Amino acid sequence: MQMAFYFDQTRCTGCYTCYIACKEWHDIPAHSVQWLRIQETESGKYPDVFMSCTVSPCYHCVNPSCAEVCPTGCIAKRSQDGIVVVDREECLGKEACGQCLGACPYGAIQFRNKPDAKMEKCDFCLERLEEGRQPACVSSCPVRALDSGDIGELKVKYGKYGVVKTGPGLTYDKKNRPAFVIGVKYANSSYKRV
Amino acid sequence: MKSEVKKIHVSCGHDCGGACVFFAHVNDGVVRRVETDEGEEPQLRGCARGWAYRCKVYSPERLKYPMKRVGRRGEGKFEPISWDEALDTIAKELKRIRDNYGPSAILYDGRGGNRGQLHGSMSGLRFLNMFGGCTTLWGGPSAEGNVFASRVTYGTLSTSNTRDSLPYAKYIIVWGANPAVSIFGTNTTYYLTQAREKGIEIDVIDPYCSETAAYVGTRWIPIKPETDTALALAMAYVILTENLQDRAFLDRYTVGFDKFRDYITGKEDGVPKTPAWASDITSVPTETITEIARRYATSKPASFFIGFGAGRTSYGEQWHRAVSVLACMTGNVGKLGGDAAGFGRGPVGAMIGPAIPIPPNPVEKGVSLRGGLDIKLRNSIRVHYSYMWDCILKGRAGGYPTDAKMVWVVASDPITQHPNSNKGHEALQKPEFVAVSDIFMTPTARYADILLPVTTPWEKNDLIRPWCFGPYYLYLHKAVEPMYNAKSDYEVFKELCPRIGIPVEQFTENRTESEWLRHIYGISEDMKAEGVDFDKLEKQGYYKMPISKPLLAFEKEISDPENHQFRTPSGKIEIYSQQLADLNNPELPPIPKYIECPEGPNSPLAAKYPLQFISRQAKNRSHSNFYNIPILHEIEPQRILMHTSDAKDRRIKDGDMVRVFNDRGVVLIPVRLTERVMPGVVILGAGAWFTPDEQGRDKGGCANTLTPERVSPGGSFAINSCLVQIEKE
Repeated sequence: MQMAFYFDQTRCTGCYTCYIACKEWHDIPAHSVQWLRIQETESGKYPDVFMSCTVSPCYHCVNPSCAEVCPTGCIAKRSQDGIVVVDREECLGKEACGQCLGACPYGAIQFRNKPDAKMEKCDFCLERLEEGRQPACVSSCPVRALDSGDIGELKVKYGKYGVVKTGPGLTYDKKNRPAFVIGVKYANSSYKRV
Repeated sequence: MKSEVKKIHVSCGHDCGGACVFFAHVNDGVVRRVETDEGEEPQLRGCARGWAYRCKVYSPERLKYPMKRVGRRGEGKFEPISWDEALDTIAKELKRIRDNYGPSAILYDGRGGNRGQLHGSMSGLRFLNMFGGCTTLWGGPSAEGNVFASRVTYGTLSTSNTRDSLPYAKYIIVWGANPAVSIFGTNTTYYLTQAREKGIEIDVIDPYCSETAAYVGTRWIPIKPETDTALALAMAYVILTENLQDRAFLDRYTVGFDKFRDYITGKEDGVPKTPAWASDITSVPTETITEIARRYATSKPASFFIGFGAGRTSYGEQWHRAVSVLACMTGNVGKLGGDAAGFGRGPVGAMIGPAIPIPPNPVEKGVSLRGGLDIKLRNSIRVHYSYMWDCILKGRAGGYPTDAKMVWVVASDPITQHPNSNKGHEALQKPEFVAVSDIFMTPTARYADILLPVTTPWEKNDLIRPWCFGPYYLYLHKAVEPMYNAKSDYEVFKELCPRIGIPVEQFTENRTESEWLRHIYGISEDMKAEGVDFDKLEKQGYYKMPISKPLLAFEKEISDPENHQFRTPSGKIEIYSQQLADLNNPELPPIPKYIECPEGPNSPLAAKYPLQFISRQAKNRSHSNFYNIPILHEIEPQRILMHTSDAKDRRIKDGDMVRVFNDRGVVLIPVRLTERVMPGVVILGAGAWFTPDEQGRDKGGCANTLTPERVSPGGSFAINSCLVQIEKE
C-alpha cells in the first residue's frame, strides 16, 4: 500500500485554507516552517491571463532520496503505508548534516531557523490517520480539491485525472517517484466533469 | 495523566456573509487545536481566517486591561486602569454629556466586527436607548447601493435562492463579486465550482482578474470601474432589439418596462444604449457585450451572481437596479438556476434578526426608517457612516443631526474602514470624550480616552447566523474563560447600568446568557417558523435545516401572483418606481440609468490623478479583522496591484516601494506588477490598518487613506469612484 495525495488543480482557488489548517493542526508558528507549500503561477498577457496553484505537502515518494542520503537512517519509509517519517531524536540537524534538504526535489524538507533545528516535514497527519480521518489539509479544503488514500485507489477514483503526472508548478521526478495524483489545469481547458 | 480534550463548538463572528462550523479542542482550559466541519453534508467548512482564529484569541496583542489615554489622541499611549475606574469614567461622561447637550450628542458606532445575536454592538444600543438614546449611523460600507436598489425593485432583500441552486443554471455571470475570497456565504465557491464542472460557462466581470475569475470562472471580462451600469443597459438593448425578452414575465410581474424601453432605445434622451455606446464607456468589446447578452437571454435558466463591488460607486444603485431589470427581462426571477440579481439574501436561514431586543431610540422620536427609501429623512435622523468624520467636525451647523460630543466605538474600526482616514484623525481630536471597546489596539482604539478590552466569540455563548445564506444556524459555546481582564460587550453594558441609574434587571430581564439565547430564538421572526430545533442547535452547536432541494426566493410570488404580491407599493417588481419618481431627484431616476461618475477617468481630476483606484477584499482578512495576525501575512503580503504597462512610464519595477496619493492622502506600499488588472486601474486589499508616519503618510496599506467620502444618492459608499497617482518612492 502506498498512501498518496490527490490534488485537483482545476478546483484550487489559492485560498490557503489547507496551508493554515496544516500549520494550525501541527502548531507551527508564523514565519516558520511550511509542511505544506503553495505555489501560484501567473502567465499570459492581459486580458488572457492564466492562473494556477500547486499545493505541495510531502509526496511520500516511492523512492525517497531524503531517506537514501540520511546518514543516521532517521528518515524511514513505513512498510505498511509508504508514509515517509522522520525520527527527530536521531536527526543530526541542519548544520551538522542537512543532506536531506538538497535531496528532495519538492522542498518538502524543513528546518526551523535555529542552530539545533531537527528535520521536520509533512507526516500525513499520522495521528488523524490512526483515527480513520483524512489529513487536516484534505479535510479543510472548502472546494474539496484535495483527497488522500492509496495511490492505486486514487487513480481509479479520479479516472483520467489520475494518470497525469506533471502540470503547472509540478514535475514528476522519475527517480523519487512521488506519490501524488493530480488533476491538471491547462489554459483554455474544459472543466466539464460529468 | 493527560487530561481530557473536549471539542467545543465555536465559530468566527466576522462579517463575511458566512458562518462556519469549527470545533475548538480544549484541554486544561486552553484551546490546543481547531478543526472544521467533518460531519454531515453539506459540511460548513471554514476558510484560512477561521483556521487562524486560535492565533487571534491567543494573540500577544490582545488588550489585557482597561486603559486610559495619556498621550495625544491617535498617539497610542495608554495607562492601565481598573474596570471600576474605566466604567465610572464612562458613566460620568455619559451622564454629563446627556445632561449638558442631550442624548443626541452621543454618537454610537456599533458595528459587526465581533458579531453575535446577543453580544456585540447591539447590546450597546439596547443600553444607550434605555439611557435616553443616542445618535446612530446608517449605511453599510459594503452594500448600501444594493440594499437600496433591492428595496426599490423587489421590496425585500431576500431575493436569491439557496446557493445549491447555482449548479442548475445554464449560464452564470459573476459580476462585481469575488466569493472565492470574500466568502459571501459558506460553500458559495464550492457550488460555483460544481456548476462549472457540469459544463456551465461562468463569465466573471471585474476590473481585476479576481480569484473567482482566475480559479472558478471560465472567462474574465475586464471592465472599467464605475461603468458597469452602461454594460448592463447595453445588454438590455441587445435583448430588446433582438426580441429575446420574456414578454409574458414582464407583463405579469413587473411595472414600467415601457419607460425603461424608451430610455434604452434612445426615445427618451436621443441616445440608444447600444453595445458600441457601452463599449466606449466600459472598454468591453462590442461583440462581447452582444455575445453575453444573447447568451444570458437564451440560456434558460441563467443566473447572475451579483456582488457589491460595482455598487460601491457614485451611482452604484443604478447598476444594481439595471441588473435586476435584466433578470426580469429574461424571466430568471424565482426560478431554479435563475437569480433575481437583487440584494441576494437567501429565502431562509439568513440573518433577518432578531438579536437582543432594542427599545426605541428616544432621539429618533418614533420615526421609522426601516426599509425606507427617503434618504433625506434618514440623514435628518442618523449620520451616514461615510460622513461620520464630517459630522463630528461640522455638527448641526453642517446640516447633521448632532453635535457629537461623545463618540463610542464598539466592534468597529472606522479610521480604517470609513473613507478618508486622515480626516478621521482630525475629527477624532474634537469630541469631548471618546470610548472604544475592542479586542486589539486598532487604529481607532488609539484615539480612545477610555479603552475597554472585550472578549472574542470563543469566550462566551452566543447565537450566530450567516447574513446572506443559510439554511442553517449556529450556537457558539464558550470554549475558554474570558482572556486576561476582558469582558463581553454585554457584560460591559450590564455593569454600566447601576452606574447610570438603570436597574440591572431592566437590562438583563434576569436572564442568564443561555436563557437569553433561548429567548432570542423564541422571539425570532423566522427560526421558530422554519422549524429550527433549538435543543438540537444548542446541544450540537449547529442546526442544518433538512432540505432535499434548493429553496427558491419569490417562489410564491411567481407561482401564485394573485395571492402573493411583491412587497412593493405596486405589488409588482418595479422596473419603474413611483416612489423614486416622487423623490424628484434626477440623480435617483425612477428607471435605472447610466450617470457618469464625478471622480472617474473622464473627469478633470484625471489629469492630475490618472489612475482609477479600487479596493477589494483580501484573502487574509475579514474587513479589518486579522490584519495583526502574523500567520495570515504569510499568505498575502499587502501590495498594490498595477498593470505592467502603467508601471513602464513611471519607471516602476515589481516590488518597488511606491507612493500612492491624491488630495486626501498618501500610502507608501510595495507594488505588485501583474497582467491581472486592467491598465489604468490599481487595486489595494481593503481593511489594512491605517498606520501614519510622522508626515501622516500611511505605511499600513490602508485603502481608505485615499477614498472619497462621497455617498451615492441611494446611500452607497462611493469608495470605488476614486482617482490616484502613483510614483516611485
